[in-house]
Amino acid sequence: MSETRIAAHRERCIGAGNCVEVAEKYFDQDDANGTVIVLQEVPDPGDEGLVSQAIDICPVAALYSA
Amino acid sequence: MTSETSERPSWPFERRCPLSPPPAFAELREKEPITEVTLWNGSSAWLATRYEDIRALLVDRRLSSDTSKEGFPQSSATVVAQRGGQKSLPRMDPPRHDEHRSMLAADFMIKQVRKLRPYLDELLDRVFDEMAATKGPVELVTALAQPIPANVITELLDLPREHSEFFLDRVNTWMSLDSTPEVAAKAGGDALEYFDQLIGDRMENPGDDLVSRLIRERMNTGALSRPELQHMLHLLLIGGFDTTANMISLGTLLLLENPDQLDQLKADPGLAPKVVEELLRYLSVAHHVAFRLSTEDVEIRGRCIHAGDGVIAPILAANHDPEVFPDPERFDIHRDARGHLAFGYGLHQCLGQPLARVELQAVFARLFVRFPNLRLAVNSDQLRFKNALIYGVEEMPVLLD
Repeated sequence: MSETRIAAHRERCIGAGNCVEVAEKYFDQDDANGTVIVLQEVPDPGDEGLVSQAIDICPVAALYSA
Repeated sequence: MTSETSERPSWPFERRCPLSPPPAFAELREKEPITEVTLWNGSSAWLATRYEDIRALLVDRRLSSDTSKEGFPQSSATVVAQRGGQKSLPRMDPPRHDEHRSMLAADFMIKQVRKLRPYLDELLDRVFDEMAATKGPVELVTALAQPIPANVITELLDLPREHSEFFLDRVNTWMSLDSTPEVAAKAGGDALEYFDQLIGDRMENPGDDLVSRLIRERMNTGALSRPELQHMLHLLLIGGFDTTANMISLGTLLLLENPDQLDQLKADPGLAPKVVEELLRYLSVAHHVAFRLSTEDVEIRGRCIHAGDGVIAPILAANHDPEVFPDPERFDIHRDARGHLAFGYGLHQCLGQPLARVELQAVFARLFVRFPNLRLAVNSDQLRFKNALIYGVEEMPVLLD
Protein backbone atom coordinates (compact mmCIF):
# COMPACT_ATOMS: atom_id res chain seq x y z
CA MET A 1 0.00 0.00 0.00
CA SER A 2 1.39 3.35 -0.97
CA GLU A 3 1.69 6.02 1.68
CA THR A 4 -0.73 8.93 1.68
CA ARG A 5 1.04 12.26 1.87
CA ILE A 6 -0.48 15.63 2.76
CA ALA A 7 0.29 18.37 0.26
CA ALA A 8 -0.73 22.01 -0.24
CA HIS A 9 -1.28 24.40 -3.12
CA ARG A 10 0.29 27.25 -1.18
CA GLU A 11 -0.56 29.82 -3.85
CA ARG A 12 -4.27 29.14 -3.30
CA CYS A 13 -4.13 29.39 0.49
CA ILE A 14 -5.84 32.43 2.04
CA GLY A 15 -4.65 31.72 5.59
CA ALA A 16 -8.10 31.06 7.04
CA GLY A 17 -6.44 28.58 9.40
CA ASN A 18 -9.14 25.92 9.56
CA CYS A 19 -6.55 23.17 9.07
CA VAL A 20 -4.53 24.44 12.04
CA GLU A 21 -7.60 24.56 14.25
CA VAL A 22 -8.60 21.01 13.34
CA ALA A 23 -5.18 19.35 13.12
CA GLU A 24 -2.48 21.46 14.74
CA LYS A 25 -0.03 18.58 14.70
CA TYR A 26 0.04 18.59 10.91
CA PHE A 27 -0.35 22.23 9.94
CA ASP A 28 1.05 25.63 10.87
CA GLN A 29 0.86 29.08 9.26
CA ASP A 30 3.64 31.29 7.94
CA ASP A 31 4.28 34.16 10.36
CA ALA A 32 4.58 36.64 7.49
CA ASN A 33 1.34 36.04 5.57
CA GLY A 34 -0.59 33.21 7.22
CA THR A 35 -0.02 30.74 4.39
CA VAL A 36 -0.20 27.06 5.31
CA ILE A 37 2.89 25.06 6.24
CA VAL A 38 2.59 21.27 6.30
CA LEU A 39 4.46 20.11 9.41
CA GLN A 40 4.16 16.40 8.88
CA GLU A 41 3.33 14.92 5.50
CA VAL A 42 2.48 11.38 6.52
CA PRO A 43 -0.41 10.99 8.98
CA ASP A 44 0.20 8.85 12.05
CA PRO A 45 -1.95 5.73 12.29
CA GLY A 46 -5.38 6.69 13.62
CA ASP A 47 -5.12 10.32 12.48
CA GLU A 48 -6.47 9.72 8.97
CA GLY A 49 -9.95 11.02 9.87
CA LEU A 50 -8.56 14.18 11.41
CA VAL A 51 -6.36 14.88 8.41
CA SER A 52 -9.13 14.20 5.94
CA GLN A 53 -11.42 16.61 7.83
CA ALA A 54 -8.71 19.28 7.70
CA ILE A 55 -8.41 18.76 3.95
CA ASP A 56 -12.17 18.79 3.44
CA ILE A 57 -12.91 21.99 5.35
CA CYS A 58 -10.25 24.09 3.63
CA PRO A 59 -12.42 26.84 2.11
CA VAL A 60 -10.30 27.19 -1.03
CA ALA A 61 -9.37 23.54 -1.61
CA ALA A 62 -5.70 24.31 -1.04
CA LEU A 63 -5.00 20.93 0.64
CA TYR A 64 -4.95 17.47 -0.83
CA SER A 65 -3.52 14.07 -0.21
CA ALA A 66 -1.35 12.45 -2.81
CA MET B 1 -33.35 38.69 -17.38
CA THR B 2 -37.07 39.27 -17.85
CA SER B 3 -39.35 40.09 -15.01
CA GLU B 4 -42.11 37.55 -15.70
CA THR B 5 -41.60 36.28 -12.24
CA SER B 6 -45.00 36.09 -10.60
CA GLU B 7 -44.65 32.31 -10.02
CA ARG B 8 -41.29 32.63 -8.43
CA PRO B 9 -40.76 32.94 -4.70
CA SER B 10 -39.78 36.42 -3.50
CA TRP B 11 -36.48 36.91 -1.73
CA PRO B 12 -35.90 37.23 1.24
CA PHE B 13 -37.95 34.51 2.92
CA GLU B 14 -39.66 34.97 6.28
CA ARG B 15 -38.89 32.97 9.35
CA ARG B 16 -41.72 31.30 11.24
CA CYS B 17 -39.82 30.55 14.46
CA PRO B 18 -37.28 33.19 15.42
CA LEU B 19 -34.32 30.84 15.88
CA SER B 20 -35.05 28.54 12.94
CA PRO B 21 -34.46 29.11 9.22
CA PRO B 22 -37.37 30.16 7.00
CA PRO B 23 -39.39 26.99 6.22
CA ALA B 24 -39.11 27.79 2.50
CA PHE B 25 -35.50 26.59 2.52
CA ALA B 26 -36.51 23.03 3.43
CA GLU B 27 -39.33 22.97 0.86
CA LEU B 28 -37.11 24.21 -1.97
CA ARG B 29 -34.24 21.93 -0.99
CA GLU B 30 -36.58 18.98 -1.64
CA LYS B 31 -38.45 20.25 -4.68
CA GLU B 32 -36.11 22.54 -6.56
CA PRO B 33 -32.69 22.91 -4.94
CA ILE B 34 -31.50 25.37 -7.59
CA THR B 35 -34.36 27.78 -8.20
CA GLU B 36 -35.03 31.30 -9.38
CA VAL B 37 -36.29 33.91 -6.94
CA THR B 38 -37.57 37.43 -7.47
CA LEU B 39 -35.74 40.31 -5.83
CA TRP B 40 -37.14 43.59 -4.47
CA ASN B 41 -36.62 45.45 -7.76
CA GLY B 42 -38.29 42.78 -9.91
CA SER B 43 -35.05 41.25 -11.14
CA SER B 44 -34.31 37.60 -10.47
CA ALA B 45 -31.46 35.54 -9.06
CA TRP B 46 -30.61 31.87 -8.61
CA LEU B 47 -31.03 30.52 -5.10
CA ALA B 48 -29.26 27.38 -3.87
CA THR B 49 -30.50 25.57 -0.76
CA ARG B 50 -28.34 22.40 -0.53
CA TYR B 51 -25.06 22.31 1.39
CA GLU B 52 -23.18 20.68 -1.48
CA ASP B 53 -24.35 23.26 -4.03
CA ILE B 54 -23.79 26.23 -1.75
CA ARG B 55 -20.24 25.07 -1.07
CA ALA B 56 -19.63 24.51 -4.78
CA LEU B 57 -20.92 27.98 -5.67
CA LEU B 58 -19.00 29.79 -2.93
CA VAL B 59 -15.70 28.17 -3.95
CA ASP B 60 -16.28 28.91 -7.66
CA ARG B 61 -14.00 31.72 -8.84
CA ARG B 62 -16.25 32.47 -11.80
CA LEU B 63 -18.68 34.09 -9.34
CA SER B 64 -17.84 37.68 -8.45
CA SER B 65 -18.39 39.51 -5.15
CA ASP B 66 -17.98 42.95 -6.67
CA THR B 67 -21.23 44.79 -5.95
CA SER B 68 -20.28 47.60 -8.33
CA LYS B 69 -20.83 45.23 -11.27
CA GLU B 70 -24.02 45.76 -13.29
CA GLY B 71 -26.74 43.31 -12.26
CA PHE B 72 -25.28 42.34 -8.90
CA PRO B 73 -28.16 40.82 -6.89
CA GLN B 74 -29.29 42.70 -3.77
CA SER B 75 -32.17 42.15 -1.39
CA SER B 76 -33.37 45.74 -0.87
CA ALA B 77 -32.59 49.41 -1.55
CA THR B 78 -31.11 49.64 1.95
CA VAL B 79 -28.74 46.75 1.22
CA VAL B 80 -27.67 48.48 -2.00
CA ALA B 81 -26.75 51.54 0.09
CA GLN B 82 -25.01 49.42 2.74
CA ARG B 83 -22.90 47.43 0.31
CA GLY B 84 -22.39 50.34 -2.09
CA GLY B 85 -20.27 52.20 0.45
CA GLN B 86 -18.13 49.16 1.11
CA LYS B 87 -14.91 48.81 -0.83
CA SER B 88 -13.11 46.22 1.24
CA LEU B 89 -12.28 42.50 1.09
CA PRO B 90 -15.83 41.08 0.98
CA ARG B 91 -16.50 43.08 -2.18
CA MET B 92 -13.22 42.30 -3.96
CA ASP B 93 -12.32 39.59 -6.44
CA PRO B 94 -8.87 38.06 -6.97
CA PRO B 95 -6.12 39.00 -7.46
CA ARG B 96 -6.72 42.22 -5.47
CA HIS B 97 -8.68 40.34 -2.82
CA ASP B 98 -5.83 37.91 -2.20
CA GLU B 99 -3.25 40.71 -2.00
CA HIS B 100 -5.29 42.60 0.59
CA ARG B 101 -6.19 39.55 2.60
CA SER B 102 -2.58 38.41 2.86
CA MET B 103 -1.78 41.75 4.53
CA LEU B 104 -4.09 40.83 7.42
CA ALA B 105 -4.01 37.03 7.51
CA ALA B 106 -1.03 36.70 9.87
CA ASP B 107 -2.62 38.97 12.49
CA PHE B 108 -5.69 36.74 12.70
CA MET B 109 -3.92 33.39 12.84
CA ILE B 110 -5.08 31.21 15.69
CA LYS B 111 -1.62 31.29 17.29
CA GLN B 112 -1.74 35.12 17.36
CA VAL B 113 -5.32 35.33 18.51
CA ARG B 114 -4.75 32.93 21.41
CA LYS B 115 -2.42 35.51 22.92
CA LEU B 116 -5.54 37.58 23.64
CA ARG B 117 -6.93 34.95 26.01
CA PRO B 118 -5.51 36.50 29.25
CA TYR B 119 -6.87 39.90 28.17
CA LEU B 120 -10.21 38.26 27.41
CA ASP B 121 -10.34 36.54 30.80
CA GLU B 122 -9.74 39.84 32.60
CA LEU B 123 -12.35 41.51 30.44
CA LEU B 124 -14.88 38.79 31.24
CA ASP B 125 -14.15 39.10 34.98
CA ARG B 126 -14.82 42.83 34.77
CA VAL B 127 -18.00 42.44 32.71
CA PHE B 128 -19.32 39.62 34.91
CA ASP B 129 -18.64 41.72 38.04
CA GLU B 130 -20.62 44.61 36.58
CA MET B 131 -23.48 42.27 35.72
CA ALA B 132 -23.45 40.82 39.24
CA ALA B 133 -23.56 44.31 40.76
CA THR B 134 -26.71 45.23 38.80
CA LYS B 135 -29.95 45.31 40.78
CA GLY B 136 -32.84 43.48 39.15
CA PRO B 137 -32.83 42.12 35.60
CA VAL B 138 -29.71 42.53 33.46
CA GLU B 139 -30.07 43.37 29.77
CA LEU B 140 -27.68 40.83 28.29
CA VAL B 141 -27.11 42.49 24.90
CA THR B 142 -25.73 45.73 26.34
CA ALA B 143 -24.24 44.16 29.51
CA LEU B 144 -22.34 41.26 27.90
CA ALA B 145 -22.90 40.55 24.21
CA GLN B 146 -21.82 43.94 22.84
CA PRO B 147 -19.04 44.89 25.30
CA ILE B 148 -16.99 41.73 24.70
CA PRO B 149 -16.35 42.13 20.95
CA ALA B 150 -16.37 45.94 21.24
CA ASN B 151 -13.55 45.85 23.78
CA VAL B 152 -11.61 43.23 21.86
CA ILE B 153 -11.68 45.21 18.62
CA THR B 154 -10.77 48.47 20.35
CA GLU B 155 -7.88 46.59 22.05
CA LEU B 156 -6.77 45.16 18.71
CA LEU B 157 -6.82 48.56 16.97
CA ASP B 158 -5.65 50.38 20.12
CA LEU B 159 -8.61 52.74 20.18
CA PRO B 160 -9.94 54.60 23.23
CA ARG B 161 -12.48 52.34 24.90
CA GLU B 162 -15.00 55.18 25.17
CA HIS B 163 -15.25 55.25 21.37
CA SER B 164 -16.99 51.89 21.33
CA GLU B 165 -20.40 53.55 21.92
CA PHE B 166 -19.99 55.57 18.76
CA PHE B 167 -19.12 52.41 16.83
CA LEU B 168 -22.00 50.44 18.29
CA ASP B 169 -24.46 53.09 17.25
CA ARG B 170 -23.07 53.48 13.72
CA VAL B 171 -22.64 49.78 13.07
CA ASN B 172 -26.14 48.95 14.30
CA THR B 173 -27.69 51.68 12.16
CA TRP B 174 -25.63 50.67 9.15
CA MET B 175 -26.56 46.98 9.53
CA SER B 176 -30.27 47.51 10.13
CA LEU B 177 -32.60 46.66 7.27
CA ASP B 178 -35.11 49.00 8.90
CA SER B 179 -32.80 51.95 8.19
CA THR B 180 -33.61 53.98 5.11
CA PRO B 181 -30.91 53.81 2.40
CA GLU B 182 -29.88 57.38 3.29
CA VAL B 183 -29.59 56.69 7.01
CA ALA B 184 -27.64 53.44 6.42
CA ALA B 185 -25.26 55.19 4.02
CA LYS B 186 -24.73 58.07 6.47
CA ALA B 187 -23.92 55.68 9.34
CA GLY B 188 -21.43 53.80 7.16
CA GLY B 189 -19.91 57.12 6.07
CA ASP B 190 -19.50 58.31 9.67
CA ALA B 191 -17.56 55.20 10.62
CA LEU B 192 -15.40 55.48 7.50
CA GLU B 193 -14.67 59.11 8.33
CA TYR B 194 -13.54 58.06 11.83
CA PHE B 195 -10.96 55.75 10.30
CA ASP B 196 -9.61 58.43 8.00
CA GLN B 197 -9.03 60.61 11.06
CA LEU B 198 -7.46 57.66 12.86
CA ILE B 199 -5.00 57.07 10.01
CA GLY B 200 -4.04 60.77 10.13
CA ASP B 201 -3.57 60.55 13.89
CA ARG B 202 -1.42 57.40 13.75
CA MET B 203 0.71 58.87 10.96
CA GLU B 204 1.60 61.65 13.38
CA ASN B 205 1.79 59.47 16.49
CA PRO B 206 2.79 55.97 15.40
CA GLY B 207 2.81 53.08 17.84
CA ASP B 208 3.16 49.30 17.78
CA ASP B 209 -0.51 48.68 17.08
CA LEU B 210 -2.01 47.06 13.98
CA VAL B 211 -3.08 50.40 12.46
CA SER B 212 0.41 51.92 12.79
CA ARG B 213 1.96 48.77 11.39
CA LEU B 214 -0.35 48.78 8.35
CA ILE B 215 0.53 52.44 7.73
CA ARG B 216 4.26 51.74 8.04
CA GLU B 217 4.46 48.47 6.15
CA ARG B 218 1.65 48.77 3.60
CA MET B 219 0.54 52.35 3.08
CA ASN B 220 3.96 53.98 3.16
CA THR B 221 5.32 51.34 0.78
CA GLY B 222 2.55 52.03 -1.73
CA ALA B 223 0.89 48.61 -1.39
CA LEU B 224 -2.27 50.24 0.01
CA SER B 225 -3.75 53.66 -0.67
CA ARG B 226 -5.08 55.68 2.25
CA PRO B 227 -8.74 55.05 1.25
CA GLU B 228 -7.99 51.33 0.89
CA LEU B 229 -6.57 51.23 4.41
CA GLN B 230 -9.58 53.22 5.64
CA HIS B 231 -11.97 50.61 4.21
CA MET B 232 -9.83 47.78 5.54
CA LEU B 233 -10.02 49.13 9.10
CA HIS B 234 -13.75 49.73 8.73
CA LEU B 235 -14.12 46.08 7.74
CA LEU B 236 -12.25 44.93 10.85
CA LEU B 237 -14.71 46.93 12.91
CA ILE B 238 -17.92 45.72 11.29
CA GLY B 239 -16.66 42.17 10.86
CA GLY B 240 -15.64 41.77 14.46
CA PHE B 241 -18.42 43.54 16.23
CA ASP B 242 -22.01 42.76 15.53
CA THR B 243 -21.45 39.17 14.39
CA THR B 244 -19.88 38.05 17.66
CA ALA B 245 -22.26 40.17 19.75
CA ASN B 246 -25.31 38.52 18.18
CA MET B 247 -23.78 35.06 18.58
CA ILE B 248 -23.34 35.71 22.31
CA SER B 249 -26.94 36.83 22.91
CA LEU B 250 -28.65 34.36 20.56
CA GLY B 251 -26.32 31.58 21.70
CA THR B 252 -27.28 32.18 25.32
CA LEU B 253 -30.95 32.15 24.33
CA LEU B 254 -30.63 28.91 22.36
CA LEU B 255 -28.88 27.25 25.30
CA LEU B 256 -31.60 28.44 27.69
CA GLU B 257 -34.19 26.93 25.37
CA ASN B 258 -32.34 23.60 25.45
CA PRO B 259 -31.87 23.01 29.19
CA ASP B 260 -30.70 19.40 28.79
CA GLN B 261 -27.81 20.58 26.61
CA LEU B 262 -27.11 23.54 28.87
CA ASP B 263 -26.90 21.23 31.91
CA GLN B 264 -24.17 19.27 30.16
CA LEU B 265 -22.21 22.45 29.49
CA LYS B 266 -22.62 23.53 33.12
CA ALA B 267 -21.33 20.15 34.28
CA ASP B 268 -18.38 20.28 31.89
CA PRO B 269 -17.32 23.73 30.64
CA GLY B 270 -14.68 21.91 28.58
CA LEU B 271 -17.52 21.23 26.14
CA ALA B 272 -17.52 24.93 25.16
CA PRO B 273 -15.65 24.47 21.84
CA LYS B 274 -18.17 21.85 20.68
CA VAL B 275 -21.08 23.96 21.93
CA VAL B 276 -19.75 26.96 20.01
CA GLU B 277 -19.51 25.03 16.71
CA GLU B 278 -23.10 23.81 17.07
CA LEU B 279 -24.29 27.32 17.98
CA LEU B 280 -22.50 28.69 14.90
CA ARG B 281 -24.11 26.06 12.68
CA TYR B 282 -27.57 26.35 14.14
CA LEU B 283 -27.81 30.14 14.29
CA SER B 284 -25.77 31.10 11.19
CA VAL B 285 -26.25 34.76 12.12
CA ALA B 286 -24.77 36.04 8.84
CA HIS B 287 -28.05 35.16 7.18
CA HIS B 288 -27.88 37.85 4.49
CA VAL B 289 -24.42 37.22 3.06
CA ALA B 290 -23.21 35.11 0.12
CA PHE B 291 -24.60 37.04 -2.83
CA ARG B 292 -22.62 36.67 -6.04
CA LEU B 293 -22.73 37.63 -9.71
CA SER B 294 -21.77 35.04 -12.30
CA THR B 295 -19.14 36.24 -14.77
CA GLU B 296 -19.32 33.10 -16.96
CA ASP B 297 -21.84 30.36 -17.65
CA VAL B 298 -21.79 27.97 -14.70
CA GLU B 299 -23.57 24.63 -14.74
CA ILE B 300 -24.91 23.29 -11.49
CA ARG B 301 -27.29 20.39 -10.88
CA GLY B 302 -28.33 20.44 -14.54
CA ARG B 303 -29.17 24.16 -14.54
CA CYS B 304 -27.17 26.81 -16.37
CA ILE B 305 -26.39 29.99 -14.48
CA HIS B 306 -25.56 32.40 -17.27
CA ALA B 307 -22.90 35.07 -17.21
CA GLY B 308 -24.54 38.14 -15.67
CA ASP B 309 -26.98 36.18 -13.48
CA GLY B 310 -27.21 36.79 -9.77
CA VAL B 311 -26.63 33.96 -7.29
CA ILE B 312 -27.69 33.61 -3.66
CA ALA B 313 -25.97 30.88 -1.66
CA PRO B 314 -27.24 31.28 1.93
CA ILE B 315 -25.08 29.70 4.61
CA LEU B 316 -28.16 29.36 6.83
CA ALA B 317 -29.71 27.00 4.24
CA ALA B 318 -26.47 24.99 3.94
CA ASN B 319 -26.15 24.61 7.68
CA HIS B 320 -29.65 23.14 7.99
CA ASP B 321 -29.33 20.62 5.16
CA PRO B 322 -30.39 17.24 6.62
CA GLU B 323 -28.09 15.40 4.19
CA VAL B 324 -25.10 16.80 6.08
CA PHE B 325 -26.60 17.60 9.49
CA PRO B 326 -29.26 14.97 10.25
CA ASP B 327 -32.33 16.33 12.04
CA PRO B 328 -30.94 19.85 11.54
CA GLU B 329 -33.53 21.64 13.69
CA ARG B 330 -32.34 19.70 16.73
CA PHE B 331 -29.70 21.59 18.69
CA ASP B 332 -27.21 18.88 19.56
CA ILE B 333 -23.86 19.83 21.08
CA HIS B 334 -22.51 16.32 20.42
CA ARG B 335 -22.98 16.32 16.67
CA ASP B 336 -19.97 16.90 14.42
CA ALA B 337 -20.83 20.45 13.36
CA ARG B 338 -17.31 21.51 12.34
CA GLY B 339 -18.06 21.39 8.61
CA HIS B 340 -20.65 24.18 8.96
CA LEU B 341 -20.44 27.21 6.72
CA ALA B 342 -21.28 29.81 9.37
CA PHE B 343 -18.12 31.73 8.45
CA GLY B 344 -18.83 31.32 4.76
CA TYR B 345 -16.80 29.27 2.32
CA GLY B 346 -14.43 29.98 -0.51
CA LEU B 347 -11.90 32.77 -0.56
CA HIS B 348 -14.21 35.15 1.31
CA GLN B 349 -14.49 32.91 4.34
CA CYS B 350 -14.31 35.03 7.48
CA LEU B 351 -10.85 36.41 8.22
CA GLY B 352 -11.62 36.82 11.91
CA GLN B 353 -13.00 33.36 12.60
CA PRO B 354 -10.18 32.37 15.00
CA LEU B 355 -10.89 35.55 16.96
CA ALA B 356 -14.64 34.87 16.99
CA ARG B 357 -14.02 31.32 18.20
CA VAL B 358 -11.68 32.41 20.99
CA GLU B 359 -14.21 35.02 22.18
CA LEU B 360 -17.22 32.71 22.00
CA GLN B 361 -15.41 29.79 23.62
CA ALA B 362 -14.31 32.00 26.51
CA VAL B 363 -17.83 33.39 27.01
CA PHE B 364 -19.63 30.04 26.89
CA ALA B 365 -17.02 28.24 29.02
CA ARG B 366 -17.46 30.84 31.78
CA LEU B 367 -20.89 32.49 31.65
CA PHE B 368 -22.87 29.65 33.23
CA VAL B 369 -20.10 28.84 35.71
CA ARG B 370 -20.30 32.38 37.04
CA PHE B 371 -24.11 32.57 36.75
CA PRO B 372 -25.50 29.01 36.96
CA ASN B 373 -29.06 30.29 37.52
CA LEU B 374 -29.05 32.69 34.57
CA ARG B 375 -32.51 32.68 32.99
CA LEU B 376 -34.79 34.89 30.93
CA ALA B 377 -36.59 37.63 32.88
CA VAL B 378 -39.43 37.72 30.32
CA ASN B 379 -41.29 35.12 28.30
CA SER B 380 -39.35 34.25 25.17
CA ASP B 381 -42.33 35.28 23.02
CA GLN B 382 -41.81 38.87 24.22
CA LEU B 383 -38.34 39.06 22.66
CA ARG B 384 -37.93 41.12 19.50
CA PHE B 385 -35.54 39.96 16.79
CA LYS B 386 -33.47 42.13 14.48
CA ASN B 387 -34.27 42.81 10.89
CA ALA B 388 -30.64 43.28 9.92
CA LEU B 389 -27.78 41.97 7.80
CA ILE B 390 -26.64 40.01 10.84
CA TYR B 391 -29.40 38.28 12.79
CA GLY B 392 -29.83 38.94 16.48
CA VAL B 393 -32.11 39.76 19.38
CA GLU B 394 -32.78 43.42 20.16
CA GLU B 395 -32.88 43.12 23.95
CA MET B 396 -32.64 40.17 26.29
CA PRO B 397 -33.43 40.80 29.97
CA VAL B 398 -32.11 38.03 32.21
CA LEU B 399 -32.07 37.24 35.92
CA LEU B 400 -28.83 36.03 37.45
CA ASP B 401 -29.59 34.91 41.04
